[in-house]
Amino acid sequence: MGFTIYTATGCTRCKIIKQLMNEKGIAFEEQDMKAAGKEAFQKFYAANRKAIFRGPDGVEFPLLHDGITIRQGIGACVAYLLSGTKLDGFFSVGTLHKEWVDGIHVSGGNPEYTTEFLAALQYIKKGNNMKLQLDTNGLNSAILEQILAQDLADVVIMNVLGPKELYSQLAGEAVNITEVEKSLSLVTKFPEYKLQTTVAPVVREDGEISYLTTKEIGATAKFIAEATGSMKNPYLVKLFKPKECKDERFKTIEAMPANALLSYRTAARTHQVFVEIEKN
Amino acid sequence: MTKPIAELIFLSEIHYFHEHTWANVEGDLVKVGITDFAQDSLGNIIFVELPNVGETYSKGDEFGQAESAKTVSALYMPVSGEIVGVNSELEEAPQHVNEDPYGAGWMIVVKPSNLDEIKELLSKEDYLNQIK
Repeated sequence: MGFTIYTATGCTRCKIIKQLMNEKGIAFEEQDMKAAGKEAFQKFYAANRKAIFRGPDGVEFPLLHDGITIRQGIGACVAYLLSGTKLDGFFSVGTLHKEWVDGIHVSGGNPEYTTEFLAALQYIKKGNNMKLQLDTNGLNSAILEQILAQDLADVVIMNVLGPKELYSQLAGEAVNITEVEKSLSLVTKFPEYKLQTTVAPVVREDGEISYLTTKEIGATAKFIAEATGSMKNPYLVKLFKPKECKDERFKTIEAMPANALLSYRTAARTHQVFVEIEKN
Repeated sequence: MTKPIAELIFLSEIHYFHEHTWANVEGDLVKVGITDFAQDSLGNIIFVELPNVGETYSKGDEFGQAESAKTVSALYMPVSGEIVGVNSELEEAPQHVNEDPYGAGWMIVVKPSNLDEIKELLSKEDYLNQIK
């Protein structure tokens, strides 16, 4: 099975992946979309465009294709080349540029492969002088602890899904809330961190779907204050975007107007004085 | 790299829509594509999504999109009408749009519901004034 890597002239991340493949003795064919590989990339794109991620700056490179699966972006490529499919879920395509790498989800993968995950971060950050922006929703706090100990993150963004009582429901799995509390206290120790909560839809006990209430966002801010021991965390309350939602149940829900966030800010401010709301 | 406007080509005998599509009357049908300015701004086009024959659109509706590695750009109907032809060669060779936007890079043929709409479109000079 042959590997093809689609690259763009001058793309540093592409060079890093080619270097890694050379180090590991993996044979591959390179198609540079700005040079001789223009036509090959066009064909590949036309055949796979639904599976290819486009960020605000267009298609993110490199794209590594083994004939079946496409791995896109530095994180997913490094993870795959070092550990095969074990690290699936930890990485997605990021949108940051220059030396910054994002799309790294501490809570997204299988904690059995913590060692492999840390090795992939090590390779990107220490081996190639990149800076890492990680995100977490509080799960896999033991991994976060090791990331902190090994100094493997420059920025951590924690998505605090909601108040304690609704956390499992919002996460879509049974959550041990002490995990989330532990992550909250760890996250404040990173060089830079930000907490955020999306005003997400919740399926209520009677089956009705409604957005998190201002009271529930207030309770979330309180939860953050208790777990971090601080009322002064950088905290952002965000709008839910139904169109970008993958959950079929929530796709048709009406989007909340941006100015509705004002009352959420008021509710959160009692417990997190620096709360900001997302600008549309 | 985008070119200076002076180096781009704009034909006199066709009509221009402010959303960067052109319309050329051929008998009672209208052929549509994007302007040299539009293709140059997009860069190397790697995919063109076109509508199906038989679909109808109003003037200003999005009928498809052109994608380059850097951006995705919507394509807008310069006139209302039914799609009676699409340039299927663009599936295999989207680069025609870059190489020959008024020729091999044409996109659709429309049976206009109101040919008077053509008169509302821009002349070469008007369009040039808009993009300058």
